[in-house]
Parts: sequence; C-alpha cells; structure tokens
Amino acid sequence: MSFFGTGATTTTAAAATVEKDIEVPDAPTDSISSLSFSPAADYLAVGSWDNNVRLYEVGAGGQTQGKAMYSHQGPVLSVCWNKEGNKVISGGADNAARMFDITNGQSQQVAQHDAPVKVVKWIETPQGGILATGSWDKTVKYWDMRTPAPVATVQLPERCYSMDVQYPLMVVATAERHIQIFNLTNPNAAYKTIASPLKWQTRVVSCFTNSTNSGFAVGSVEGRVAIQYVEEKDSQNNFSFKCHRKDQTPNSKDQALVYAVNDISFHPVHGTFSTGGSDGTIHFWDKDARTRLKTFEAAPGPISATTFNRNGTIFAYAVSYDWSKGHSGMTPGHPNKLMLHACKDDEVKRRPKK
Amino acid sequence: MAQLPDAAEKFPLLPATIIQPATSTKWQRKRISRSSARGAGTVRGSLKMRKVFSSTLVTKMQLIDMDFLVLMQHQKAKHFKCNMCPRRLNTAGGLAVHIQQVHKLEPENLPRIENAISGRDGYEVEIFGMEGIPAPDVADYKRRKEIELGLAAGSISQPQPKRPKIEKRPLSEDELKAQLEAHKALMGGSSDIPPAPPAADNSAGAVYGAPPQAYATPPTPAPGMPPPGMTPPGMIPGAPPFFPGGPPPAGALPPFPPFPGMPGFPPGPPPGFPFPPPGLMPPPGMSPLGAPPFAPGNIRPPFPPPPSFVPAGSASPFPPFTPGQSGVPSTPSVIAAGPPATSAEPPPLALPNRNLEQKYAPFKKATELKYSDPNFSPEERRARTKKYYFAKDSTNMSSPGIDSSAAEETRGKKRARAEDFL
Repeated sequence: MSFFGTGATTTTAAAATVEKDIEVPDAPTDSISSLSFSPAADYLAVGSWDNNVRLYEVGAGGQTQGKAMYSHQGPVLSVCWNKEGNKVISGGADNAARMFDITNGQSQQVAQHDAPVKVVKWIETPQGGILATGSWDKTVKYWDMRTPAPVATVQLPERCYSMDVQYPLMVVATAERHIQIFNLTNPNAAYKTIASPLKWQTRVVSCFTNSTNSGFAVGSVEGRVAIQYVEEKDSQNNFSFKCHRKDQTPNSKDQALVYAVNDISFHPVHGTFSTGGSDGTIHFWDKDARTRLKTFEAAPGPISATTFNRNGTIFAYAVSYDWSKGHSGMTPGHPNKLMLHACKDDEVKRRPKK
Repeated sequence: MAQLPDAAEKFPLLPATIIQPATSTKWQRKRISRSSARGAGTVRGSLKMRKVFSSTLVTKMQLIDMDFLVLMQHQKAKHFKCNMCPRRLNTAGGLAVHIQQVHKLEPENLPRIENAISGRDGYEVEIFGMEGIPAPDVADYKRRKEIELGLAAGSISQPQPKRPKIEKRPLSEDELKAQLEAHKALMGGSSDIPPAPPAADNSAGAVYGAPPQAYATPPTPAPGMPPPGMTPPGMIPGAPPFFPGGPPPAGALPPFPPFPGMPGFPPGPPPGFPFPPPGLMPPPGMSPLGAPPFAPGNIRPPFPPPPSFVPAGSASPFPPFTPGQSGVPSTPSVIAAGPPATSAEPPPLALPNRNLEQKYAPFKKATELKYSDPNFSPEERRARTKKYYFAKDSTNMSSPGIDSSAAEETRGKKRARAEDFL
C-alpha cells in the first residue's frame, strides 16, 4: 500500500514562508480545548480550560475582534453553533451544557449530565435542530432545549471521548476503543458498534464531508489515523496511516517518538482533512488520493484543536498544552495561542487520483 | 524404470494443490499426460520434436504447449544429459538409472546433476516439466514473479478468494418490504416517501437500512406549535419524524418544530434591544483592507444575513485577567460563576470496572509513546487536578434549562444591561 508522504516536498513550502499565519490577540488565558466556526458568518467560538467561551469575529483581512464571552463553572471542553449561527452551545467539566444567545448576550444552562460534558454537537435534522451531548457519564443525550429533561438518552459502552455529526451519520468514540455509529433517523440505538481500527486510545473521530460514501476518520494517541467507511461494501477502502511522529535523534529515521493526534477537521467543501498533533505539527491530507497536501511548520506547543470555517477559507488552530505530559508539562511559559491560516486552494483541493 | 518417490509422498504435509498446481502457471496450460510425454521423449523424442518444430506435421504433439516443450528440451539438454554418452533423459531418476545400468556406476558415485541450482544437484527431487517442484520453491518462484511483474502480493501465489455465498431461499415478508423501501428511496421517492434530505445525504435511510416504518410518516411536521413543556417524554417513541418506531398517534405534535419559532428564543434581535451601532460592526464581507487573504463573503452560502452580536459595552468584551487566578472571571460582566470548587483535593481517577482495565501490547520496535495511559484521556486527568476540578455537589443538580437559578441569572443580567443603556 502506498502511504501518504510522496507529494509532500512539492507542496506549498514556498507559500508558507510568504504569508505567516495570523495570531489572534486576546487569546484565552488557559489552554484552548475546542474551536468552532459559525455556519452563518466568520464568527469563531473558543472554549478554554479557564472556564470561559470567547467569541471572535474574523474580518476579511484576518483581523479579529473579541465580541463576547461567557462562563461555565468548570473548564469548557467543547463548543458548537446552531445552524442559524445565533446561538453558541458549550459543554464543560461542570457537567453542564450552556447556550449563549449572541443576539442578546445571555447564556443559560440547557443540559445536565452526571459527569463532565466532553462533546456538544448540533444536529440539524429535516425536522429541526437538536442538541446532542456526550459525556464521561457514558451517555449521549439529545435535548430540544425547551424542556429541562433530555428527549432521549443513549447508554454508551464507555466514557464518551469524541463525537461528530454529518447528518444522518453520527459517530461516537469512547474509552476502551469502542466506536458507535448512529443513523440519526433512528438515534436511540447504535446502528453499528465496532472496536476502533486502531489499537491505541481513541483521541478523536471526525465524519467525512463531501463524500459519496459515508465514513469517518479516527485518530489515536499512537500517531495514527484510520479512515473507516460505515458500510461493509466500502470496507476495502478502509486504511490507516502513521503521522505525527518524530525521530529519536535527528536523522536517525526511526520515527520512535509517537505523539497523539489531537484533532481531525474535514474541509467543508473539498472533503480533504487536517490532523493536528501533540508534536505541534499540522498536516492536510487527501484520503482518496492518499497523499499529504501540506505540512505546517511545527508550532512551539501541541496543537489542541483545529477547525475550518463554513466555506473552508480559514483554518483556525490552537497551540496549547494538551496535558500529554501530565501536570509537570504545564509550565508557566507554555505557549497558548490561537492562530488563523488562510487556506489556499492547492492546499485543500483534492489531488486527482493516480 | 525405477521411479523415485513422488513429490506428494515426500511432502505429505503440504496440500496437494501446492505440489501440483492444476492451473495458474503457463507451463501447464495444455499438457499431455505425463506418461505419454515421457514415452515420446525417451524413445524417439528428439526426432519427433524436431519434426514438430520444423514441419507442419499435424500430430498430437502440436497440441502440447510450446512452452512446455521448450522447458522439457531445456531440462534434457542442460540437466538430465548423460555426460558419458549422448543420451538425454527426462528426469533425474531416469538419468540415475541410466548411469547405473548402462555405464555400471555405483549409486553412491553418480555425478552431480549439471547446471543445477546449488543444493538441488542431487537425485532426490524428481522434477519433470513443472511437476514435482518442492512447494516452498514454487511459492518462492511465484513471489519473485509477482515482484517482477509489479503485481500486488498474493495475486498469483494466493488461491483465488471464494465467491461470497448467496443464500438461495425465499425472502421473508419483512425483508421484501425493506428491500422495496430501499429501492424506492434509491429511485428518488414515490408519493409516500418524504423528499430525501438535500445533497450528500444519499445515505439517509436506504443505505443505512432504517426500518421501513420511518418512511411511512408524514414528511412535514404537523402545523401548530406545542406549548413549551407540553412534550412529555413518553410520547417520543410515537413521534416518528426524528424518532421512528411506528405511525404517529393522531394529533401528535412533532417534537422538534423549526427552531426560530421556539417560544422564548427570538430569532433575531428581540424588540427592545438596540441594533449594533454602525461603527462597531462593519457588515461582514466588506473588507477594510485592500487584498483580503480570506475569501470575502460573496461566496456566502444562501443563509439569511448572519446574526449580529449584541453590542459590547467596551471595545473588548473580555474582562482583564489577573494572571495566576484559577480561571474564575473576576468581573461581573459575565454571568457569576458558582463558587470555585477548590476547597478539597479532587479524588483520584478510578476505573468503574477494574476488570476492563486496558493494557497496551508492547511495541515491536523501540518506541516512545508520548501519552501512554490506556485507561484515561489527558482531559480526564486534567479535569481531576486541583486547579480544574469541579466538585459535583457544588453544582445545582436541579433540572437545567428553565430552572429557577438560570431564570434568576437571566433576569439579573437583563436588569444590569438595561441599566447600562438607561
């Protein structure tokens, strides 16, 4: 099998030096846990371990302006927007999800779990929007946000670690490498439950965008990403590849230092995707041509979160501590930056298949 | 003629198909039976073969694959040739018998077979044409051929995969129904199928094999708005647009009416709230700079104009931070957070079920896994440190959403905001 990495040298190494990525001023004071762009405008919601969610407006020139902020009682672990782009929903370690209305600047609690809410996702169904929250209490709950009780609760085999939605597909990854696939026309029961194709702890799942066959990407702590299709008939296209590894000593080529894949974001238009690693690097990939499209210069700290805006012209990423070295890695001078990258077409467009 | 033991007897553990592959090598596409070929070769083989090569003589020999003939000729000329007389034999065994009987040599000082691969110059292996080659050597040869031809590994050397088994039995009623529904959905919908969700959603229903009842429900939500709180949870299984499971009971309201109409959540800026002053909020898409690196908003998808923020009181909505403080905002401009739960040391992380504890297998080569805890994610560890821990009992465990405290928060906030503008 040919792996990614052949086309890396021909990509935009020159272009990267021309334009530097823009750092957002007024970044959160503690590590950034999650990023989400509004589906209606270039508003960026940023969740942080300092208990706050900050909202920025990104201008056409890449300049940003802080617009609003609201708080949780504990660290924020996940943020998302509703489809209209007028409400921000966030889940936190205070076992709650909160909704912030950007038109009137008010927030209120909309969901409650017995353990920290790891993921919040907005599901846009033909019948209307609904909020899904995944928690370490081993449940996913659906909320319509008018009633205090969830409209449905799904028991998971383990603690929810990651979740992504591309209606009608929802994929939930849990501890102990379980992956549950939901068909949202029947959201109460898993359509399929599989063990992760990767042998190490799951960090992130992300559903394909702009793909004829539905599927998802799985990232693990062992520097590896698996591309997994939902249906059995596509299973010959499943594959995995190594990434986010470094040599023990320069030029030894042993790739012995293995970093976690912290986030995977799919480009909303082209269906290519990014991986951000604990090693501080970001790569863009094309899963169909199985090539690497772009490599970012290594950041001074782990990449904790990544996201594309609604039309894929802006790529936002957070450089912050991801607790991969435990408490001792939390040094006072650890970089904590929020960066914006203007995507050029040849970085994110699919390569023609060879 | 004494016959050395056959390959199949010498390698009893190997499956017969490997020892004598019936297909897959070009040497054996057409082949006459072993005995007749040998007979032709030993008696007047050379003469006949010359005839085959030189003339148009139509004999049985012409049916023999040319490749096979060439191979046999090669073996006789190069390997199984007696070096004491011009006699050529077909096999190593034949040569051994010839030397012993004609030239009266003892079996132990037979000459080695000429031009053989090292280690294969003995008389133990009886090879004739492509038959009798030891299985490991066949496998090795095929592997080399694969590499040579640039084929995927296993395309020659592996047996062809079995055809998927198709069960031949009458389909049950349910299966028929499901297949019909799937087909209908695939064909773009008949009257009783709601329009397929737009674009890229071809996996809706049919591909997923959703229960057919899902399609039998009215495609659009019933008109009318449920009063807030009127949707008892017990009704959910019977309200199928989002939760299929049966035809809806008469008069059942869809659990999720369109979002903007939701009571309590005004879709736009509610009356009474001023629109943002023009100076503060340039309309998105209008670039103050000449050459924007980010594509301007003219490729905006067909959304209504994006909602705008409520104007912030100051230039930056973020209150100043005092470094070293544990995240709790110090200014009242945001909702007052609960008391910081830092009084007690957080309990250590414990697995709910010790038996399910995970362990990683060791790496094959020297590898340093940077995050090596198989049982907990870094976020779980981080959330249990003193700085970030949130004690469960300090939260209000009452119902979320429209609970009293939230309502109070909201009201208090509104009042504060009103004062700002007065």
